[in-house]
Amino acid sequence: MKKSNLAGWKDVFSFTLVQTLKSKAFLISYIILITLSLISMPLVNKIFNSGNEDVNAPSPIKKVYVYNSTSLQDIDFSKLLPEENMNHILFETASEEYDTLSKEVEKETTSVILTITEDSNMFSLHFLKAGKGPVKDTHIQALGNALAKQFQLLRINASGITDEQNAMLNAKIGTSVSAADVNGEIILKEDTSISMAEYWFIYGILFFVLMANMLSSTQIASSIVTEKSTRVVEYLLITVKPLALMVGKIIAMLFATLFQMVSMVIALFVSNRITSVIIPGNSSSMLEQFLPKDIFQNINIVNILLCFILVMLGMIFYATLAGLAGATVSRIEELNEGLTLFTITNLIGVYIGLGASGTLVGAGINPFVVFAFLFPLSSPFILPGAILIGKATLPLVGIAIVLELVFILLLFSFVAKIYETLILHNGNTIKLKELIHLSKTV
Amino acid sequence: MSLSVNNLSKSYGDKVVLDNLSFEIHEPGVYALLGTNGAGKTTTLRIILGMLAKNNGEVLWKGKSLDPIRTNVGYLAEERGLYPKYSLLDQLLYFAKLRNVPKHTAMDRIKYWADRLAVTEYVFPPKTKGRKTSKSNRADQLSKGNQQKVQLVAALISDPELLILDEPLSGLDPVNTDLFKSIIREEISKDKYLIMSSHQMPTIEEFCSDITILNRGKAVLQGNLNEIKKGYGRVNLFVKSDVDIASYISSFGLTIAGKTPSEYHLKVKSEEQAMEFLTKLINDQIPIVKFELREPSLHEIFIEKVGDANEEK
Repeated sequence: MKKSNLAGWKDVFSFTLVQTLKSKAFLISYIILITLSLISMPLVNKIFNSGNEDVNAPSPIKKVYVYNSTSLQDIDFSKLLPEENMNHILFETASEEYDTLSKEVEKETTSVILTITEDSNMFSLHFLKAGKGPVKDTHIQALGNALAKQFQLLRINASGITDEQNAMLNAKIGTSVSAADVNGEIILKEDTSISMAEYWFIYGILFFVLMANMLSSTQIASSIVTEKSTRVVEYLLITVKPLALMVGKIIAMLFATLFQMVSMVIALFVSNRITSVIIPGNSSSMLEQFLPKDIFQNINIVNILLCFILVMLGMIFYATLAGLAGATVSRIEELNEGLTLFTITNLIGVYIGLGASGTLVGAGINPFVVFAFLFPLSSPFILPGAILIGKATLPLVGIAIVLELVFILLLFSFVAKIYETLILHNGNTIKLKELIHLSKTV
Repeated sequence: MSLSVNNLSKSYGDKVVLDNLSFEIHEPGVYALLGTNGAGKTTTLRIILGMLAKNNGEVLWKGKSLDPIRTNVGYLAEERGLYPKYSLLDQLLYFAKLRNVPKHTAMDRIKYWADRLAVTEYVFPPKTKGRKTSKSNRADQLSKGNQQKVQLVAALISDPELLILDEPLSGLDPVNTDLFKSIIREEISKDKYLIMSSHQMPTIEEFCSDITILNRGKAVLQGNLNEIKKGYGRVNLFVKSDVDIASYISSFGLTIAGKTPSEYHLKVKSEEQAMEFLTKLINDQIPIVKFELREPSLHEIFIEKVGDANEEK
């Protein structure tokens, strides 16, 4: 690739970037994405915590009348509820008839009746509340959960079991298999499997990269076809070489997409912050609820930089492929047909990435996962997530970056050979076989 | 000599689209490339402009290999091209930037040519009430003719030394044709070098001193247009009379090339034969309304050359 072949790419880059950012399609999609990101956290909070919105707010229940017919008597209920939002609740052993008390509860509206029964299999906590009033099912649910938790401990203590014995009874049972080498030495195997939260985190990153990739790549392909079909390319080609045109476009589209994605991430964090501030009782952030526990330990400059490099290289690779696809067709209507190779390649990368993340949950790091980490089609999708959960070592990431670079250079040298011929091609869509033939004859 | 095209060849697989083409442009003015559709005109222009790779040959500009990126070349493509959704001013400034024209110079030139080509109202629309600025129109808001004018502005924006016009007048109405012609004359007066491909023979005759006629990638006729015509001699005779002169024509052995109700287009072997024919008509007191002896038109030469070559195939 000669340096002169790239002369003028900066002018192409700045024009394409400005026009893309100014275009209505970009502005509309940008506004939609940012709006969705901003409302996402309150929305997720609403969906996942529906009914629990006032979980930390003081419970409207003021008094609980207790009917206890179990063997566990003399329970000091007020000590059972250490929760701040419930420690104001008064517990009173019911002395009146149930029917009389239930009528009273209807009137008082902030009182409830608790009936505790016991049979051979279980203890039951039954609540009766006023049909109308401030006490909702969610408040009863919260009270029930708190009492049930304490009731369990109460039951164990009543059986004469000490805390140590209780801990022993509740201890988890794990199984592990060790292998020995030829000398009889035990080979230690580290557990490299990931939790479901980590799986969903990798899945989220993969989807995010896929979205950015598809967005920028299809825009590049469509921009190249537009220049071809409108014949603008003939004007451009007297001042810039085809390769400079493609490079300028790719970098401009990557910038535009990156701008969109970074804005989206910032909007997500803003949304998260707003949610934790404005929604009462939501002290912990929504992101913290969904992200893996140790994720913030791995978020540092080096890891972020590595992820960025990998994603960018992946996007450059796929964008070049999309640029090539754009050059093989002459009309915008044919673009879908032209993008077949790009779509298949993209899907291969995504599915290998998904397969590897599934494998990580079940079996941890194995040869297939390492292959997915290193294979240039899948590494941009799977590796950023793996880096951020601490499952990819630095040498592995380094090799993946080198392989991605080699892949890009090979693709570029192939594209450089045929792009000049393709860009002026006007006719049927050029198939892969013809592309290979063309690269041999040019 | 300023532009020299030597032994250009281009083929796609087995198909030869340009076969050993050579021509030279010595002085400023318009050089014409003529040919039927698919003769190789656009391919030649694209190779000169460096858009297409050649299989063989060279293109020299002032003795050095022509690099269109470094040489100030303007180009009006046969199939017009503008970004349909971008503002006209934005794209004209972009084309200027790619040609390394400073922004203020580009603006001055855009204003000048937009005014000359009567497209100012589209490139710089008047400000509307309540708006501080006005937005330049988009290409898809313009008629085909106006888009063509904007493209000519793009071709002229760098004040090119070498201007290549591929079918510049096709699709234009008579008013705009005259406008384009006046601009071509203006460029000629500035001692610019122009290469023009066209199917409109009268236009070529109007502007061009030197021509190449291409047929199936090969040059079938080249040289100075006047010299070519002289070489053919004045063999076209147009005679108009109030009486029927058919018997005179047959007695003189003249060939009738064409006939209207009142006029004959005859082919003569020499000027002497035409003079003898005229003397006979006068002596016999035949009333003559028109007697015109002239060289063949470019159209006739073109048909003859391209027709001959196609018949040989």
